[in-house]
Amino acid sequence: MVGVTMSTPVDPHDAEALVARIAEGDRDAFSRFYDAFSGTAFGLIRRVLRDPAPAEEVLQEVFWQVWREASRYDARRGSPVAWLLMRAKARAIDKLRSIRRREKTFVMPVNEAVARRDDGEAQSVAAAAEGRDVVQGALSRLPDAQRRVIELAFFEGLTQTEIAERLGEPLGTVKTRARLGLERLRSVLRAQDRTGERAGER
Amino acid sequence: MNADEIRDLAAVYALGGLDGDDRARFEALLLAGDREAAAALQEFEGTLVEMVGTGTIEVPPPAVKQALMARIASETAARPSAAPVKTLMVPPRARRSFWPAVWSGALAAGIAAIAVGFSVSATYEQRLNSLAQEAATLRAELSRQQAIVALVRDPATQVVSLAGLEPAPSARARMIWNAPAGGLLVAAGLPPAPSGKTYQLWAIAGKQAPVSAGVFDVDAQGGGSLPVPPLPGVDKVDTFAVTLEPAGGLPAPSGQMYLAGKS
Repeated sequence: MVGVTMSTPVDPHDAEALVARIAEGDRDAFSRFYDAFSGTAFGLIRRVLRDPAPAEEVLQEVFWQVWREASRYDARRGSPVAWLLMRAKARAIDKLRSIRRREKTFVMPVNEAVARRDDGEAQSVAAAAEGRDVVQGALSRLPDAQRRVIELAFFEGLTQTEIAERLGEPLGTVKTRARLGLERLRSVLRAQDRTGERAGER
Repeated sequence: MNADEIRDLAAVYALGGLDGDDRARFEALLLAGDREAAAALQEFEGTLVEMVGTGTIEVPPPAVKQALMARIASETAARPSAAPVKTLMVPPRARRSFWPAVWSGALAAGIAAIAVGFSVSATYEQRLNSLAQEAATLRAELSRQQAIVALVRDPATQVVSLAGLEPAPSARARMIWNAPAGGLLVAAGLPPAPSGKTYQLWAIAGKQAPVSAGVFDVDAQGGGSLPVPPLPGVDKVDTFAVTLEPAGGLPAPSGQMYLAGKS
């Protein structure tokens, strides 16, 4: 069962072995890889794309790429999960941008849409309501200025130039906040790891 | 660029938000094999993956997996299975006599044995040669990379994007340029030059006549690169352009322009 498999995550070495078997066209390995990681990938994709339909489309596309391109996976560049999630994120952002282009043309300007969501309190209430409190949890330990830059770039798909414009800050400041934010996030995650408050084990 | 600046770029790149000149520069660093850039990127990507990994798990509807497995099944069914290896080179003919068959068989076996012997030693030699060549290429590549890394890290270095023009709209190139040190052009998506023709890079400064920066050819995939020495008399280049010229190049451009970019 999907749910059961996901509560017992695949060991990182197993994940590598699974990808190697997928590269050889092993459908069973693919099925296990999907069961183990589709939930995390889908959680991320849904965080970027709120609508379920495009999110499911992206999820399918990402795993199709896994099937087709498993032979190109290079362990030196990161774990299979990292490989999967960075792809999922890139695809989700591509989709978000194409949806925005459409919205920009037909519905409303991006800035307005983003500005609406940017109302601090409304956003955190909405996020909590949507069960996104966990990412929020690690991110919430960051100074607001750093957290905003990470959210706008990673989840909203804005470029550094767009972020600088939105926040009215110099480009250099945005870049430095991104770095400091990620450095801080790393130590927050390390600390969580040590105290065993890992979200997945709730 | 100092270490913090490189980490700044790596952080924004990992977040997916690097654009413009910064992106060109950071990708040039990665291409050139800059270890600090690669390590910082890996660290930040790792942090983001960890953040996502400890984030919300959302079970996708079963239809997604069903659709995937069906797609895989139909793809596998459509893929033609490998044709069995043919072991008989000569179609069997009706035998008129026993002996000629034996002779021709022995002859064929002898030729095959000789051929195998040749091909074994030839393969072995080829392997040695190719290993030696590979080592030489790697050494050359390494020193080339170190030179490029040093170049890209120099704050005075510009990275200019060249866009494909009408004859090859999907072509693109990056020019890494540092007036006192020279630079490197890396191009992709160019059609192979017709025989007797070659691509030529030009540096254009203000209202001065274009100065040749060398000629280059592209591989079957349309990729090519050209190391450029410092160009005497050219201080500040405004535009780099690539034209198609007769083999060997000309002192002044005459052919169609394939790529151009302003610095």
